[in-house]
Amino acid sequence: MTETTKTPATPPADATPAPTPRGLIPLPLAAARALLLTGGIATAASTFLAWTWTSDFPGDLTVTGYPGGLQWLTFIAGALTAIFALASYGTRGLGWLIPARNNAPLVLTALGAFAVTWFTAIEIAAKLGGLANWEPGTYIAVIASLIPVLGAFALPQTAGETTKDTLKAYIAKPDRIPAPQPISPWAQRAVITIASIIGLAVFTYGIDTEYGELFIGFLIVVVFAVWALHTAGLLDRFSHMVAANRSFTLAMGFLVAIAFPFTQNDDHYANIGVNILIFGTVALGLNIVVGLAGLLDLGYVAFLGVGAYTAALVSGSEFSKFSGVQFPFWAAALTGAAASLIFGVLIGAPTLRLRGDYLAIVTLGFGEIFRIAVNNMDGDSGPDLTNGPNGIPAIPDLNILGFNLGQPHDIAGFTLGRFANYYLLMVLIMAIVVTVYTRAADSRIGRSWIAIREDETAATAMGINGFRVKLIAFALGASLAGLAGTVSAHVTYSVVPNPYQFAGSTPPNSAFLLAAVVLGGMGTVAGPILGAALLYLLPEKLDFLQNKSLLAFGIALILLMRFRPEGIIANRRRQLEFHETGQLDVPETTTLTDEPAVTKAGA
Amino acid sequence: MRFGGLTAVRSVDFTVNSGEIVGLIGPNGAGKTTFFNCLTGLYIPTEGTVSYKGTVLPPKPHLVTQAGIARTFQNIRLFANMTVLENVLVGRHTRTKEGLWSALLRGPGFKKAEKASEDRAMELLEFIGLAHKRDHLARNLPYGEQRKLEIARALASEPGLLLLDEPTAGMNPQETRTTEELVFAIRDMGIAVLVIEHDMRFIFNLCDRVAVLVQGEKLVEGTSEVVQADERVVAAYLGEPFEGAPGEAEAAEVAAAESTTSNTKGEAQ
Amino acid sequence: MHTLPQQLANGLLLGSMYGLIAIGYTMVYGIVQLINFAHGEIFMTGGFGALTVYLYILPDGTPMAAAIPLMLLGGAIVSVLIAVGAERFAYRPLRGAPRLAPLITAIGLSLALQEVVRNFYPGADKALAFPGLDTTHDIGSVTIKDADIFLIAAAIICMSGLAWFVRKSRTGRAMQATAQDPDTAQLMGIDTNRIIVIAFAIGGFFAAVAALSYGLKYGNIDYRMGFLMGLKAFTAAVLGGIGNIYGAMLGGLVLGIAETLASAYINNIPGMQQLGGQSWANVWAFVLLILVLLFRPQGLLGERVADRA
Repeated sequence: MTETTKTPATPPADATPAPTPRGLIPLPLAAARALLLTGGIATAASTFLAWTWTSDFPGDLTVTGYPGGLQWLTFIAGALTAIFALASYGTRGLGWLIPARNNAPLVLTALGAFAVTWFTAIEIAAKLGGLANWEPGTYIAVIASLIPVLGAFALPQTAGETTKDTLKAYIAKPDRIPAPQPISPWAQRAVITIASIIGLAVFTYGIDTEYGELFIGFLIVVVFAVWALHTAGLLDRFSHMVAANRSFTLAMGFLVAIAFPFTQNDDHYANIGVNILIFGTVALGLNIVVGLAGLLDLGYVAFLGVGAYTAALVSGSEFSKFSGVQFPFWAAALTGAAASLIFGVLIGAPTLRLRGDYLAIVTLGFGEIFRIAVNNMDGDSGPDLTNGPNGIPAIPDLNILGFNLGQPHDIAGFTLGRFANYYLLMVLIMAIVVTVYTRAADSRIGRSWIAIREDETAATAMGINGFRVKLIAFALGASLAGLAGTVSAHVTYSVVPNPYQFAGSTPPNSAFLLAAVVLGGMGTVAGPILGAALLYLLPEKLDFLQNKSLLAFGIALILLMRFRPEGIIANRRRQLEFHETGQLDVPETTTLTDEPAVTKAGA
Repeated sequence: MRFGGLTAVRSVDFTVNSGEIVGLIGPNGAGKTTFFNCLTGLYIPTEGTVSYKGTVLPPKPHLVTQAGIARTFQNIRLFANMTVLENVLVGRHTRTKEGLWSALLRGPGFKKAEKASEDRAMELLEFIGLAHKRDHLARNLPYGEQRKLEIARALASEPGLLLLDEPTAGMNPQETRTTEELVFAIRDMGIAVLVIEHDMRFIFNLCDRVAVLVQGEKLVEGTSEVVQADERVVAAYLGEPFEGAPGEAEAAEVAAAESTTSNTKGEAQ
Repeated sequence: MHTLPQQLANGLLLGSMYGLIAIGYTMVYGIVQLINFAHGEIFMTGGFGALTVYLYILPDGTPMAAAIPLMLLGGAIVSVLIAVGAERFAYRPLRGAPRLAPLITAIGLSLALQEVVRNFYPGADKALAFPGLDTTHDIGSVTIKDADIFLIAAAIICMSGLAWFVRKSRTGRAMQATAQDPDTAQLMGIDTNRIIVIAFAIGGFFAAVAALSYGLKYGNIDYRMGFLMGLKAFTAAVLGGIGNIYGAMLGGLVLGIAETLASAYINNIPGMQQLGGQSWANVWAFVLLILVLLFRPQGLLGERVADRA
């Protein structure tokens, strides 16, 4: 009855009487480290050689003298391996990289370098037809990247009961990370700044990848690097720093977001950026509903649609029913948000008094009905409002205070194209949504949302009017989606019924939005944005996924709920659970870990 | 209060005066918790009313709390993934007013109210001795501290009457004694307390008045001495034949009825 | 323009189909309080299972009278296997997890099933032709097809079978006990896991019957048909009182008739001229759901659900 979510189990250290830590591969420690270091350097060095003879393979890997394309990723992964290896020697100035002196960061960086190198080599052989397309450089890279893996598994490690346990122990995060030495607030801010810049660089690189192989290589390197940092305990330290400098981090985050279009020469990538922002903003709005208040809204995209259609109707488009009407942007935005709000209340009021499951199904129905209704309201099979399947095209560009967002503008030597302009507008909208989210979450109303989510009976017994606060959450979520919808109508020039459905192959649709929230991490700010970025980029960059992306997401949702229900970025509350000093001493049996769930199941 | 054909609590008239600690005892399934749920508006009584300070209370839990009756639960119902402080702050809900707009705009009024709430919550945490754990998650507290936190959370709503549902269940004698002192201290704050308990010694030490509930009906009410001396109470507890049927079996029947309430409430109106 | 008796007959037929699917929602919900979102897709795969038997297993020219039982068998095997597999591998590990977890899993499962069929069933990215039973009969002013007779007969047989099973059989009584209180039922020696699997299996079987009727009646099936049918069958289950098997059937019939009548006659109401017709039928079904939730959330035959403190 009470099968709990499994947290990665580290094998108990005292399972066998005083085992001596030794490597899976019997080698002395010095040799293991030497293999890691030399292997890392050799892998990085091999990227300066040619890996293939023809430039048919994207990225031009034929040049001897400097790396290109996927070789850059191998270079970075190899360099990271070498740096972590140096840190394991206790090199001055690098000790902070592995504060707990555990093996996992070394193993993971080595695996990352190995994975990206072998992926590239195999892709070359597969794409060009055979190993004959490998140059000597490829062979060197393939062998060089294997060396640190051997070294990593030769590191001494307390053995588990089975080989599987031992392997798990190799990549496990230690229970306790030594507390960092206190550093001054200014140094903390410097660290956050540097991290933001690195983040921007990584993100920009990801968006700008020009072919699928490069994007996969990018994902491999990022996943292993982040995983290594996580097991080293550095991510926890960083999130503590972030928690101590919240407003500074938010400000840096927005600076970085604003800086993005200035790094782009091609407006196409700014277009990807603006779409990710719209998607992310809506996901964040959904996160208020799902993540904070625990209400499952499966028709959320319909609220985006209401906002978009409202904006289109009052945009002055000649195809709009009210073609003479042209609201200024602020008025259109407010109208869109208000229209969504009204629908939110209409849907929420009858259903929020009932069990949460009803809300799920009613919102699902509403989402579908919205699509059917706008499809039919063409004056033929329904009232004349939305032009049916043709939608409302020719929505004019926004003009805010004389600044035409449709025209390229030159700012400080950079040319900002149409999408870059909209991107900046969306950054502003997202800033509003993030502010709303964080402020609401940390207040009386936010606490009552979380209380309702945790245990509705107890919450009402504490004097919370459950229906009222749920309705506020639901309506707030709806109006934020409406707000984002007003901008999206202008970005895409036209609104048509098709994107506003429950599930489709491209975002945003309700299933994708929910997936973004769940994948990124419910109840966090960064989670849904990260989730949205990933879910947008994956089908965009990987052609072969395009037909099967929904299949992949369906399976991913099932697996996610089974193995990591908290998503990529765990909620602060879950983090607290693991890192509050001294709390692990509390005996498991007396905590109420599963209490609410069990009571509910029994009721 | 009837569930389907079964009457869980019948004609229980009961008064708690201010500054009083009153105990409610009875065998398992006597209807004590059902009685609590009626009082706090979780169940809508089939007949009868609950009044507080002369006003009849509507059967809505949040309005009951608003009026000044707070409660704890038999099987601790903390907000497991909220911190200790946040749990108490949720208890402050009815005594604060800041809505969504105020939270979004963060005016001076909001900051003042938040500060005041936090100060009050910290006072309560000091009072129960959990101030040093303010940032721990409720789920990670040991059992005894969870019970205490639930009391602090209830106190945060500034009740005039506090309902405690088995506050010492599962506690060792020492913890029970601490709870006893805590209840006295709460009484001394001018709050009336109504306690459900199985631990007789705890009840008789603590309460000014004790009522015994058996099979949904009030058997006796009076001081500890009166109740202890009443042979019907002894009979009910020792499982002596009670109107021809073993009390245990009867009680089990009521318990079974109670456990199916989730499905039968519709007919309870 | 059809006559009123014809409209009623159409509504009744549509409603029987909703009712058959709704049984799956209501049984599972009654026992584990889970809305099995993927049930619409279990219905859909049942249709494809039946079609597979017809297209790939039976020799060409098999008379329909012989083909239908085998198609039903094929559809039922597919639906039941998927329903039971979903319970075993997707939902069971999540029992006791927060409420959102199984719902999200169900959505994932629903997407995955649709996409598996679309991607891997030959030709299933478009609607696939299904052998129809199109011979018509006139009964008074009402015209019905052979497929309709099959549907009505199947619905009556299935419902009476289920009613007998739940009331009289040992397993059926164990099922009622589990629905009342799973913990106590388990203490009384009932294997609740087995009961839950049986509920999923019965739901799957009924969905397969509905899917076969759907194919025979409309002459085609497609990978998306489970979405709307599932949504409306769920509406029917709520309408009748979720957790109540008779309610599911009653809710299905009411919904079917209401939907048919609304799409046929609502444009006669002044001011709503443009809101009639098949394209708005779904909207009216949904409006009905909202109204029911507003005024009788426990459904026509249901009892109100309260949380226990």
